[in-house]
Amino acid sequence: MTTPEFDVVVVGAGHAGAEAAWAAARMGARVGLCTLSPDTVALMPCNPAIGGTAKGHLVREIDALGGLMGLAIDATGIQFKLLNRSRGPAVWSPRAQADKKRYGAWVRDRLSGEPNITWFFRRAASIRLEGGAVSGLDFEDGGSVSCRSLVITTGTFLNGLVHIGDEQRPAGRFGELPTKVLADSLHGFGFEMGRLKTGTPPRLDRRSIDFSKFTEEHGDDPIVPFSFLSRRSDLAGRAQISCHTLHTGDLSHALVRENINKSPLYNGQIQGIGPRYCPSFEDKVMRFPDKERHQIFLEPEGVDVDEIYVNGLSMSLPRVAQEQIVRALPGLEQAVVIRHGYAVEYDFVQPTELRASLETKRVPGLFLAGQINGTSGYEEAAAQGLIAGINATLGSRSDPPFVIGRDEGYIGILVDDLVTQGCLEPYRMFTSRAEHRLVLRIDNADVRLTSRGRAIGLVDDARWGLFERRTDRLQWNRQLAETSKVSVRSTTMRVAQAIARPDISFAEVVSAGVEFETDDQFVDVDLATIEAEFRYQGYLKRHYAQLQRVRSQSSHVIPPSFSYRGIPGLSTEVVERLNTVRPTTIGQAGRIPGVTPAALAIVAARVVNTRAEH
Amino acid sequence: MFSTDDTIVAVATPPGRGGLGVVRLSGPSAESIARRLVGRADPLRQRHATLARVREIPDVVTSRTIDEVVLTWFAAPHSYTGEDVVELSGHGSPVLIERIVELAIREGARQAEPGEFTFRAYLNGRMDLVQAEAVADLIHAVTPAQARVAMDQMDGTLTQEIRRVGDQLFGVIAKCEASLDFPDEGFHFFEAGELRSALNQVAAALDKLLSTSSAGRLLREGCVVVLSGRPNTGKSSLFNALLGRNRAIVTEVAGTTRDLISERVDFHGVPVTLVDTAGIRQSADPIELLGVKLAHEAVNAAEINVVVVDGSQPLTQDDRAVLAASAHSRQIVVVNKCDQPQAWAPATGAWAEESVVTSTVDGVGLDALKRRIVGEIADEGTARDTPTLTNIRHIGLIESARQAVDRAIAALGAGATEELLLIDLHDARGQLEEVTGRRTIDDVLRHIFSSFCIGK
Repeated sequence: MTTPEFDVVVVGAGHAGAEAAWAAARMGARVGLCTLSPDTVALMPCNPAIGGTAKGHLVREIDALGGLMGLAIDATGIQFKLLNRSRGPAVWSPRAQADKKRYGAWVRDRLSGEPNITWFFRRAASIRLEGGAVSGLDFEDGGSVSCRSLVITTGTFLNGLVHIGDEQRPAGRFGELPTKVLADSLHGFGFEMGRLKTGTPPRLDRRSIDFSKFTEEHGDDPIVPFSFLSRRSDLAGRAQISCHTLHTGDLSHALVRENINKSPLYNGQIQGIGPRYCPSFEDKVMRFPDKERHQIFLEPEGVDVDEIYVNGLSMSLPRVAQEQIVRALPGLEQAVVIRHGYAVEYDFVQPTELRASLETKRVPGLFLAGQINGTSGYEEAAAQGLIAGINATLGSRSDPPFVIGRDEGYIGILVDDLVTQGCLEPYRMFTSRAEHRLVLRIDNADVRLTSRGRAIGLVDDARWGLFERRTDRLQWNRQLAETSKVSVRSTTMRVAQAIARPDISFAEVVSAGVEFETDDQFVDVDLATIEAEFRYQGYLKRHYAQLQRVRSQSSHVIPPSFSYRGIPGLSTEVVERLNTVRPTTIGQAGRIPGVTPAALAIVAARVVNTRAEH
Repeated sequence: MFSTDDTIVAVATPPGRGGLGVVRLSGPSAESIARRLVGRADPLRQRHATLARVREIPDVVTSRTIDEVVLTWFAAPHSYTGEDVVELSGHGSPVLIERIVELAIREGARQAEPGEFTFRAYLNGRMDLVQAEAVADLIHAVTPAQARVAMDQMDGTLTQEIRRVGDQLFGVIAKCEASLDFPDEGFHFFEAGELRSALNQVAAALDKLLSTSSAGRLLREGCVVVLSGRPNTGKSSLFNALLGRNRAIVTEVAGTTRDLISERVDFHGVPVTLVDTAGIRQSADPIELLGVKLAHEAVNAAEINVVVVDGSQPLTQDDRAVLAASAHSRQIVVVNKCDQPQAWAPATGAWAEESVVTSTVDGVGLDALKRRIVGEIADEGTARDTPTLTNIRHIGLIESARQAVDRAIAALGAGATEELLLIDLHDARGQLEEVTGRRTIDDVLRHIFSSFCIGK
């Protein structure tokens, strides 16, 4: 057998594809990266922002493992905020407005600087198989490449169909042709596929807007960065732009109702299922008729561009209606619509077709990541891209897969939810999905994951060195908190106790004269970990006890060859679900919708019994 | 699925057998819980019988002694379940034995699900398997759904009430989660003070459940046997005769009994709570109707229903209605007044051949009835799945939920934010959902998205 040209070929260079190619290249794989144009690398076709609750957690974890997204947004962010600051450190989450053009260019330059990556600015066509496993990829304009692993990250391009009012045109994103041959190739493998919908709001010309009518929103100072590599000084003095908020009202709502039968969402033109958490403006007005106004955010798409993103006004009404609605809002009376909002329908592969490595069960060597797996969001895509890139590389070397547990990271929750439960609507991460929320914090993403990234060769020496020093400081500070005393509000107590008191703020403890060992450049993370560990100590103790139980219970491994057929007491429906997902542990089996506790007990008993027989 | 890492407790002997009652604890804390129950500091010796007293408050010697017991510790893996097991043998009264179980739960054990000891033994390889089919059946018999059905039969209003409180709590949780996941929505999910009052409402509702649950009250008093029937079939006479004294007022006037009268009585060493009820019929009298309503509740809460019909009168619509009303439970049909000319042959109904024929005038059939009741209690086939156990379990769950809500209220008072409150609130939710059925985080999200217009 001849050696393939590439270890890993990645199709698509959006947020998933970029991370996949980066991870594979950094791990030493020979990578082919296939995308339509250098201008759409790491493109943000929707909102110009990275992070937010739970999504910010994902970015920190991507960074802790050695991924790109955290560094990219720190380099090109134009407004930074730490959300949920009034609450505890477990739910703090960074969010930043990005300069879209610079963000994409930064990622492209990083990837271009990787000698292991070869670019193909071509359209992917069919997937080549040999003996049922991936052997290469054909291009639409002829020619092909051979590879061991193939990562598909085609976003909304699979049979994409864009809707604006009654206009419909095949497109992956507005103005870009969809991917049909590759879609047929995937359909041909017999994957269970479905159709989803997402949407985007109109963009306005900055110069046509009267900003005096709005409330101005500023960024944080100092800036809390996304990446564990970013120093305070890297972001100090960063010029930050403002966003603005306004509210919709009667007039705009009446216009929606007047035009509702022209909305493809309401007249049956769109069949795909949209995300509940990101409702179109049509949905907001029609489903919540009692709500008198909805909040709208005006977000610049960059520093030196005139496009303003109208966050909260996603719609697919006819162009004229969109313009009328926009101009019905105070301050936007003269607004010029540069691009109209639209909805896009696209095919996705039911992610229950995947293993936790994101490799498909049907086709060895084929990995899927991003919206093709039914998710929405740049961060969710990037996280999967990283995991797929890592596993595509490990797979090309016949190494065991890299899987993150639900108790180790949001990335683990994301992947487990996808491959276990499948998608009925576009999947988005929330902190409420994390049963280990107090443990999975942004401040300790490195403590949780950096050594795992190091073990697979993704974390370089520079990051590892910083991490080791940071861990030393952390150990020292833990010791200090446990052993030294502090006098707060004329009571002397152990520092640990003072931090645990909800009525005493952490700042108060620090200012009472506790000298924690911190690095001025990384002081936020240093202090946040100490605050979190001791503030949550009582809960964490209970939590770890519980975790121990869950782990031992759910770690019962189900052998890959285990057969569910013919087990008395299991309904056909349950057997079908189990056969679709093929869970690897009892714990995973228990998270499959429709698998009852009784069914699970039967399976557990059988698994134990089967093992005893062997 | 059964959790397999905590410590479970249950009565190991069938109820109603006089002489000896065994409580079994199994799991990692079995030994320490057992020691706490008897207020003993030193470790128990393995496979060695130890005599001790279980007291109402374990550490306080002056507190009431519940029973004198023999403890035996079987260390893992050499035990019935393959885990640490402690068996406490007491003097057999089911009431005292159940009380020991309750105390063990208070000390941190969990009421075992029916079949759970066997399941653990099976998982730990301590049992020759037991056909897979048999295990499947066993496990099937204890799904939450079935437990729920049993609960519904026993006291539908209680489950409904738990569900109502559960929904209340669920609403609070959804709002707290929404506050965390959607911090920049431009409005507050909770106004100041609203969260505190919402939690207090949940706590009050749980308290009400605990204090007024008629099932809970009756069940603490032993196996509940309810006499029911249409008016004037001689229930109160039978009640007095079984008691051996005149406790209920007996007259010729139909509808004399207006309230529930309950008495503890001992049948062949088995304690029974015998309940006399008002005659069940359609009536316009509001006071009598109140009595009829109480009677229906008692019938629903009963573990054994004794339906009394009058042999000297033809069966009426009311008789048939009463028979149907208790058909869900173990039912004993008594054909009373056999001293009078009989209006019908007892062989006319499907149940008739199993009926007990009595007369309170000459005492015919009374002993047969007592034996029949004891037989039903001791019936091993169904004993372990009786509503009693389920119900103690449910009360325990509600108590745990109440404690978790309390922790959340205390934390809120101390200034804790949502991510901490939610730890306890989800804990409470989990307890209640053991009764009402499980909901997932997706249900929480669904609730958020359907209640609030969220998302940009």
